Amino acid sequence: MSDNNTPSRPAAVGAEGRKTAADKNPAPSKKTAPDKTTAPTKKTTPDKTTAPTKKTTPDKTTAPTKKTTPDKTTAPTKSTTPTKKIAANKSTTPGKKTAPNKNPAPAKGTAAAKGAEAPARRPRRRPRFSVERGWFPPLGTKGRIALVASLLTGLLTHGYHLFRYPLYLTDEGIYMQRAWSLVRETSLSPYTYDYDHAPLGWITLAGWVYPLPKQFETFGNAINTGRFLMLLVHIASVYLLFEIARRLSGSVLAATVTSFLFNVSPIAVYFQRQVLLDNLMMLWLLLSLFMLLRREVTIRSVFGGGLALGIALITKENAIFFVPSFMYLLYRRVKGSASSRFTSTLWPFAAAAPIGAYVTYAVLKNELLPSGFDFDLNNPPADHVSLLYTLWWQLNRNQGTLFSHTGLLQTSWLVRDKFLLIAGVCAMVICLWIGLRDRKRNLGFLIAGTLALGYAFYLVRGSVVLDFYVTPLIPMLALNLGMVTDRLLKGTFANRFMRGAHSVTRVAVPSFVAILLLASPASGYLVHTNTEGHTQIADQYQSKINLTAMQHAQIAWVRKHVPPNSRIIMDDDLWGELHDVRPFYPYAHSHWNASSDPDVRDKLFRKKWQYVDYIIMSNKMRRSMMLNNGDGRENWILQALRNSTRVWSETRGNIKLEIYRVR
Amino acid sequence: MIVSIIYLVLIVVSILLTVQSAHVLYLMLYTWDRADAERRARAPDEFLPPQISFSVLLPARHEEDVIQSTIERVVRANYPAELLEVFVICSQDDDGTIKKAEEKIDELKRKGLRNVRVVVFDDKPINKPHGLNTALPHTANQVVTIFDAEDDIHPEIFNLVNTVMVQEKVRVVQAGVQLMNYESNWYSTLNVLEYFFWFKSRLHYHAHYGSIPLGGNTVFFARELLLRLGGWDDRNLTEDADMGLRISAMGERVRVVYDDRYVTKEETPPTLGHFIRQRTRWSQGFMQTLKKGTWKKMPTRKQRWLAFYVLVFPRGQALLGIYLPISLGMILILKVPVLIALCSYLPVLLLAAHFLVQAVGLYEFTGAHGLEASPKAIVRMAIAWFPFQMVLAYAALRAMRREMLGRHDWEKTQHVGAHRATTEEAESRVG
Repeated sequence: MSDNNTPSRPAAVGAEGRKTAADKNPAPSKKTAPDKTTAPTKKTTPDKTTAPTKKTTPDKTTAPTKKTTPDKTTAPTKSTTPTKKIAANKSTTPGKKTAPNKNPAPAKGTAAAKGAEAPARRPRRRPRFSVERGWFPPLGTKGRIALVASLLTGLLTHGYHLFRYPLYLTDEGIYMQRAWSLVRETSLSPYTYDYDHAPLGWITLAGWVYPLPKQFETFGNAINTGRFLMLLVHIASVYLLFEIARRLSGSVLAATVTSFLFNVSPIAVYFQRQVLLDNLMMLWLLLSLFMLLRREVTIRSVFGGGLALGIALITKENAIFFVPSFMYLLYRRVKGSASSRFTSTLWPFAAAAPIGAYVTYAVLKNELLPSGFDFDLNNPPADHVSLLYTLWWQLNRNQGTLFSHTGLLQTSWLVRDKFLLIAGVCAMVICLWIGLRDRKRNLGFLIAGTLALGYAFYLVRGSVVLDFYVTPLIPMLALNLGMVTDRLLKGTFANRFMRGAHSVTRVAVPSFVAILLLASPASGYLVHTNTEGHTQIADQYQSKINLTAMQHAQIAWVRKHVPPNSRIIMDDDLWGELHDVRPFYPYAHSHWNASSDPDVRDKLFRKKWQYVDYIIMSNKMRRSMMLNNGDGRENWILQALRNSTRVWSETRGNIKLEIYRVR
Repeated sequence: MIVSIIYLVLIVVSILLTVQSAHVLYLMLYTWDRADAERRARAPDEFLPPQISFSVLLPARHEEDVIQSTIERVVRANYPAELLEVFVICSQDDDGTIKKAEEKIDELKRKGLRNVRVVVFDDKPINKPHGLNTALPHTANQVVTIFDAEDDIHPEIFNLVNTVMVQEKVRVVQAGVQLMNYESNWYSTLNVLEYFFWFKSRLHYHAHYGSIPLGGNTVFFARELLLRLGGWDDRNLTEDADMGLRISAMGERVRVVYDDRYVTKEETPPTLGHFIRQRTRWSQGFMQTLKKGTWKKMPTRKQRWLAFYVLVFPRGQALLGIYLPISLGMILILKVPVLIALCSYLPVLLLAAHFLVQAVGLYEFTGAHGLEASPKAIVRMAIAWFPFQMVLAYAALRAMRREMLGRHDWEKTQHVGAHRATTEEAESRVG
């Protein structure tokens, strides 16, 4: 119903709004004052929820006292129509739904407002804006330029040097290994799939790789091929995030700042280049959010949004921490619409559908429940894996060291980008404050703030946090920063000179900060200070640094000197290279699987160091072997390491790659 | 080999079913999904002064119980008597109804109302379209409309249609028909909701794309249009749908108005037997219309496709009725690979979506008509869901069998006036 009446609103609000603009002094929170609400409505009733008919009435009554002509001129035209018509049904029906039934007057009012719309529109009025109603200002030329610039920046920062930096990571290897298994073996994992993650992420990777001409080797190796998809995912995400920021804030500036940080922040570049489920999840999540921010909330868009959310959830489960904000946004957007009953039930349904498919998969494989309904964490069920047991186990993992000196925050995240994290969290607090102060008008801020807060809560709540878990927080912090930047630089000035100066400021200040970030070696955005104290191009764009080349050299040595039937312990990032490129190394397994998967551990290696031929190492792998050895599961591998000789090694900075031959 | 063929069939059918039911779901929600569609569907808020004259056709067969009140409702409608004429149409053997109707006419004459007549026909076939064709030459007014004997028409319906026809210059208007007695028996809720979604949403889609099977009553035609078309097809069991498609084929625009306030209220068939017979008739009528091929004469491919899609639906339903138990059996008995099983999970998902939409629809329906839906009704609906689908499939199969055997006689639905009780109750609750 509300949709139908929207046209009547602008005229009414516009007329009132002008009056207040003259009355009030320019305040920092300017734009909203003239655009949306007026002094009286601000204080009194929630102006958005009131029926349009109500609103037009005051407008009409004030018209005579004010000197506004438009309302008056339309009065005759309006009155002519009703006189022709007979008073429609006044009683008879049980339908209590529509107001006109009971009282014909408001209907007349709407008609009047409709008529008044055209003359009441003033030329130099900033476009009205409301997240709730889907009144988003049009993109415009400036917006288009900013969007294209953002997309190109993203292409540059993420595409350049993509295959060389960062180092191939274990988890990238794991996901590509599982995609490999799907393509080559039609199975979710080459090992026993134990529901550690929902599988859609690597199903997507497999879907990407499958039609490519050389499949996994299209871009050199499996991880590169995955990384290229990440580049595409990033570009799509930039578009979505840009539009989301623009729609939540009503400002191209906010969107530009958001995209800039999302594109250029070193922590973003570092994690978003990697083949991570979080990046895929984020794309779906942003798509889902975008669907809720369409101009018109249709059942289809809401359903699509729910479906995208469900897909995000079975790509990576941590998407769940964004769900409360989504629910609130949906509630605000569909409230009072004719289809609200349908939208508010079909959205959760659509979101649940992909999860249902995942659960059904487990049920069909008889792997939903642990055997004997045994959820004893100290004594994992031996005969088959179980979705719910894994979930329970993950919920009970505790390793709350995020804030300690050795925690990830200090050792990894802040090192990579202090600015984004610290300023971003401050921006989140400001967004939450702005949003909570006036939930009606500042819905966008509330959504941005709670999105970041929800995920931050996940990170700090004290469960296991891995390095790359910060990834989904990056766009959210960027979003908060973008929105706060826009809000701080907002203002309306009656004076034309001031207005000009202000619009220069809005561009100049953020540009200055951006240049500062790019030029300062402390930020690491473009340049950094290396260990010798020289300022140079930051690692992610440094043409002299080729981290992954070390890994290529390692593989080359293996191919040259190690026979393919050797039993090898390695890290997952080499998996694709050794299993998908001839000659295959079918007995090369990662230490994770060698220490835990019964098939590999007990049948191939028999848990004895003598059965290992080679160990392909990195210092990172050594560290994770130690960490993974709480129950002594890696002892026999470490023993093999002690009984081996190093046959190859390469060191650069703090990265050290080695190959050992076991005696 | 055989196994892989079975798998292939399972996958293909599952995907087809999924696409089809997703589309049906979309049609069910069409009006709600689009603000503009919803706006256009509504009745005008203000009516123009009466201008158009109406001839009301009331075909009745063995309607002794309800015919008098129906006549009363029509003549008491809020519209000038000089612009209304009413024809009660009966076959000669139906003495009871004729008698009751004439009683009523006499009573009205005493009150000065002389615009009701009885038209009797004595030739075969004895069915609704034939009756309508018999009465058509007697009509004299600009617009001809049909109401069924058990209809509870809204007093403002003529004002409404008058306004729409004058303002929008349309010559065919289909106004909303709504079953009301959603709590009468186990299938009535679902039956009521079928009507609700059909008239409130889906018909608008059909009208928009110019390929619409019209309803059997509360449908208004410019008289000359009917004459040009040569009246109704009296060998067709769903003469209404056929008429709609013929009109669409002419390129005539049909305006659908579903406004909760002005719907014509009806009742669900009183017993399962009646319900099945009604459904069989509809299904068979659609099959006849399909065979007749009017739909092929439509101007655009989209229109032809849409008409074909509607008409072929009963056959699909019959096949579905056969397929569903088989596929369930196969999933349970055969140990199908996980991927195929997941694929056949898709239609089930859509089925769940349908149920959800219907459940929400119940709240929409009751909310719109001042009734109150209870969780109990939802539970009942859930229990009745599968049997209801099976009944529909059975009726479709039955229709198919009749069609093959060449039996085209009219199985009439009986009316007892259950919806009137509901309405009065509702009104008292609102009032």
